[in-house]
Parts: sequence; structure tokens; C-alpha cells
Amino acid sequence: MSKKAQLFCVWCGIIFLVLFTLGWWLIAGYIPPISPALSANEVAAFYQQNTGIVRFGLLITLFSSAFNAPWVAVIATQLKRIEGEFPALTYTLLISGTIGTIVLFIPPMVWTTAAFRPDRDAELIMLLSDFGWLFFIMTFPPFFIQSLAIGLAVFSDKSESLVFPRWVGYFNIWVGILFIPGGLITFFKTGPFAWDGIFAFWLPLTVFFMWYLVMFPVLIKAIKQQSLTNLPKV
Amino acid sequence: MNKGLASEEIVSPLTPETPRVPGEAGVWIFILGDMVVFSLFFTVFVYYRGHDIELYLQSQATLNQFYGVLNTLFLLTSSWFVVMGVEGLRSKAPKYSPHFFILAMACGIGFSWIKIIEYKEKVSAGITLTTNDFYMYYYIFTGLHFLHVLIGLGVLLFLLFKAKIIVQRSSHKSTGTTQKEMTLIESGASYWHMVDLLWIVIFPLLYLLK
Repeated sequence: MSKKAQLFCVWCGIIFLVLFTLGWWLIAGYIPPISPALSANEVAAFYQQNTGIVRFGLLITLFSSAFNAPWVAVIATQLKRIEGEFPALTYTLLISGTIGTIVLFIPPMVWTTAAFRPDRDAELIMLLSDFGWLFFIMTFPPFFIQSLAIGLAVFSDKSESLVFPRWVGYFNIWVGILFIPGGLITFFKTGPFAWDGIFAFWLPLTVFFMWYLVMFPVLIKAIKQQSLTNLPKV
Repeated sequence: MNKGLASEEIVSPLTPETPRVPGEAGVWIFILGDMVVFSLFFTVFVYYRGHDIELYLQSQATLNQFYGVLNTLFLLTSSWFVVMGVEGLRSKAPKYSPHFFILAMACGIGFSWIKIIEYKEKVSAGITLTTNDFYMYYYIFTGLHFLHVLIGLGVLLFLLFKAKIIVQRSSHKSTGTTQKEMTLIESGASYWHMVDLLWIVIFPLLYLLK
């Protein structure tokens, strides 16, 4: 039945969060981020001293990102209920959510490449480290559009009993806007807008996690409400 | 069960005794959320300013205070026009609300015009985002605020269209504004007031603080 499949997909969002925290933060040790102001040798030391643990942590991180796909799919399923026959915003969410999932896949692979031969030239390790970080933080646009699509879809709900309460729409637009400062990391090596700064890293990361935790209960509620309205009429 | 926007009832002028939140509750999640983030911006600014006060004061001296004052006037006036426009819609036969929203938009466009001139002058003087920390905050705070203004102009355009529809309908049947329409309009107006409020903090912080 569709309810069980959907609930499974919602839980995948939580599995993503748990595995991601475990792999990227607790095992590989990417939080707090290494400073973009470090020298090549200091960056290389991170990969040389923790080679095994970084490889293993990144493997878990890579695995976690796969669970973002069912999560995006179940949000799309619920948005489709709002939009009906011509689901342009649902497709927008699906496409940007897919790109977002790819964005979650690529940095762990780039950092894995750095950890694969940690004895190579320090400059080359720094190149891969930079590429991973820039790709990870600066790629806000698909996530921005993803939140915007959900927000606009929620606002377009004209039915008697709403799929999502309207505050969910406002919340998503707020979340989307907070991802934008990530784009500024291209200009800075230090300060609050560098990739280890409060506005480019800590704030978007907190909001990103919060987004999953807020969407989780409203999705569960929407799925339950759907199975009530789909009961055969007596 | 989640309820949609409330009823088709017609609104009437407000009495001061009724305590209420303007607009829909959800819009306040966005407004308060946004203001929390800007407060964080300002806290970080004041903290780092304390570490290098000379540099901040020197850089501040190059900002054009006249533009800042002019822009403050633009936004305050536009907020007043929005209040007049919204208030007008509460009467049985609203008439001038669309005019007020047009005036509010004109002020918003005036603000944008000045902002662009100001950025142009700074860039042609060789001052950019990476010149020093003060200008980093200057460009990012005013830039993000400017983004809010541009979104706000879209919101005001929406209010203008809504008001025109209501005025046109009321001139035939003098029905006034429904509660549902009023909630939407107040939500948009609340957003515009937030844009105004943020500027009122940004202006003294960047241009005046000694």
C-alpha cells in the first residue's frame, strides 16, 4: 500500500541525517571544517594523519546521501496531491532535489580521492580539498529552488483540507534564503563568510538539518491525512 | 485538520480593543526567522568591529550619509503609504488604496535607484567586497537587504493588483474587502514593514555608529 512506501521514504530522510552526521562529522571529522586559510602542508597533514578514518567516514557519508533520493520522492508525492494534473512545481522539486542529491554525492568522492594517495604532492591534496569544500558549500542554488518549489506549492493549495499547513510554505522560503550566503565563500579565506564561517557554514548547516526535522512530522501527518481521505465511501 | 485562509466575511474598520496579529500567522515565522538571522549579522558585525575600531571608523567615513538618510526617508514614507493603503481597504467603498500602493512602490524604486548609484560610486572608487572587513559587511548586509527590497517590490505589485480588484468590485456593489483578502494583504504589508525595519537598523550600524 502506498502509505507504507511513503512512510519508508520519510524515514529515509532521518536515516540520511543520522548516517551523514555519523560519517562526515563523528568519524571523518569534517566538523568543524578545516580553515580555507591553512597552508598546503597543513591540509595534507589532515589526510596523512587520519587516512583510514577519513576514508571510512567518507564511505558512510557517500552511502548516506543515497537516502536523500526517497526523501525527495515522498515530498514530490505529497506536492503532487496539491498540484493535481499539471504538477510543474512537483517536477521542479524533483529535478532540483535530484541535483541536490548529486551535490551530496560528489564532495565525498573528491575528498576520497585526496585520501586515496595521501603521500602525493601537498598542493594536489589541497586542490582536491578545496574542490570538495567549494562544491559542498557553494552549491546552494538547487537547494534554494527545492525549498522555493515546496513553498510555492504549499501556497497554491486551495483545497478544503490543506496537505501542508501554510506556515510550512513560509518556513521553506526562509530556509531557501538562508542557503544563499553559501555562495559568498568564493571571495573569502577567513571571517564569517569563509567556508568555515558562521554565515556560510554553521548557519546553513543548522538550517539544513532543521529542514529535515521540521519536514519529517508534517510529512507523516500529510500521509496519514491522505490515507483517511482515500477511504472508500460507504 | 489544516484549515485554509479564513472566511469570505467582509472586514470592518478596526477597534483598538481587539488584540490581534496582522496577516496570517505563518508569515510571522518568516519575518521573525529573518529578523533572527539579521540580528545575528549585526551581533557578529559589532563583535568584530570592537577588534579593529580604527579601520571601521576610517572606512565608515567614506560612506555617503546623505544617500543613507535619503533612503531611510524613502522607506519610512513608503511604509506610511502601505499603512494608508491597507487602512483604506477596510472601508465599505475603498477608493484610493491602489494610489497609495503605487506611491509606496515609487519610494521603493527610489531606494533602489539610490542604492545602485551608491554601489556604482563605491566600485568605481576601487572599493569592493574584498577591500577590507568593513566593506565586506557593507556590501553583504546592504546587498541582502536590497534583495529583500526587490522581493518587496514584487509583493507591493501584488498588493496593488489585489487592491485594484477590490476597488473595482466595491464600486459596483460596495461589498468591501473579504477577511481572506485582508489576511493576504496584511501579510504582504507586514513583510514590507520588516524590510523598512531592517534598514532602520542597518543604516545607523553601518553609516552612523561612532
